[in-house]
Amino acid sequence: MTGPNGPSPDPGQHREDPPVSSPTAPLPTGWAGPAAPHTGPAPDPTEPGPPARRSSRATVVLALVLVGVLIASGVLGWRLWTTTRAWEESAAGWEQLARTHGEDLAQAQAELEATVGELDATRVQLDTAQARITALADEKAQLGDTTAAQQQLADYQQRVSQAAGQVATALANCIDGQERLIGYLQDTAAYDAADLARFRSDVERVCGAATDANASLQSELSR
Amino acid sequence: MRTGRIGLVAPVALLALVAGCAYLPDPPPPVPSSVVPSAAPVPTAASDDSQLSPDGFDAAQRMAVRIRNIGCGALSTGSGFALDAHTLVTNRHVVADSAELQLSTYDGRDVAAEAASTAALADLAVVRTVDELPTAPVLADADPQVGDPVTVVGYPSGRQLTVTDGRVVAAVTDPLHVNLGQVLVTDAPVEPGSSGSAALDAEGRVIGVVYAKNADDMSFVVPVSTLRAMLDDDTAFAPAPTCG
Repeated sequence: MTGPNGPSPDPGQHREDPPVSSPTAPLPTGWAGPAAPHTGPAPDPTEPGPPARRSSRATVVLALVLVGVLIASGVLGWRLWTTTRAWEESAAGWEQLARTHGEDLAQAQAELEATVGELDATRVQLDTAQARITALADEKAQLGDTTAAQQQLADYQQRVSQAAGQVATALANCIDGQERLIGYLQDTAAYDAADLARFRSDVERVCGAATDANASLQSELSR
Repeated sequence: MRTGRIGLVAPVALLALVAGCAYLPDPPPPVPSSVVPSAAPVPTAASDDSQLSPDGFDAAQRMAVRIRNIGCGALSTGSGFALDAHTLVTNRHVVADSAELQLSTYDGRDVAAEAASTAALADLAVVRTVDELPTAPVLADADPQVGDPVTVVGYPSGRQLTVTDGRVVAAVTDPLHVNLGQVLVTDAPVEPGSSGSAALDAEGRVIGVVYAKNADDMSFVVPVSTLRAMLDDDTAFAPAPTCG
């Protein structure tokens, strides 16, 4: 079943056998003459051209393909170049922006540190001020307490003085009345007995008032 | 045959090249002049936890009031705290038997007192003021539990405004028998003069009113539930007895 290697005729299409001589075979020297003798039937226009025409057509196609590839490569290269440039410019822009913000951040951090330092100092000052305000409020309160206590003491002393004065006055009246009563009693015949009894009662009342004033004084003193 | 193959490969190659061009990234968008957001984000710190005030004092200090009770031959001091702009709360025994009440705030400012009323069923009193008080706290909704932290703000011994911390130790029946119901026992240090101080919870809400201490340095607090009950009862307070 296996035959010799080599091209085999297309079973689906009948072809004429190729001429004996190959177009690439060397021609004899001085050959320029007439057309090759007709060795077979005339070629059918619908049949593929001879190998020379197909080769030139392939060369043209290949050249067109190469031109297309070159154009496409050029377009692609141009697009790559422009895109790369755009991204480079964008990267440079972002880097510049990042550096700008980095400088701003560094400045902000420095300012923040300075502000935090000032804030700490201010807090210390505020604590000191609060402590001072609290101390001053306490001092004022203590002064108020002292003033109130001294006012109470002054009121007390005033009450004691008034009580003492009343005691002294009452005692003086009492003593004066008793002295007068003693004088009247030494000469009872010269006075009406009823008047003497009424005067004695008055003296006792005055002395009783002196006793009450003295009790009040003692009460104030004991407070 | 070779020509046909080349003719087949060439369009494919061209197509691949064009497709490759199509897959190239688009040119970058223009670089903005600034990427700083127009609306700066609000810092999360220092928003709620800081109680800033015009002068740096916190709310607990600003609501405290020092009370000087000038009696008839007697002088005593106590503490209180603002309930609203013109009302403060203190103890009954702080304002009792007074001829005059003198009030001052945390910064030493004098506040004129108008009238004092005392409760019969608890060691509580309210004082109306003519001048406006700096600030008023919020009353807690419920009494604290044993173990809860407590902060007392007042004028121990009539001296500087002081803030002391402790915890609720127990809830007991009033050993002094001046308050109905239970009272709170805390280990927050207090002194004579601290009576009427506000006892605050961790959120700065009033949980009670200090009214006594014992020999073991335990402080006794009228719970906020009692305070609320007294304030809600229109007949709970009567004019305070005076000595004048």
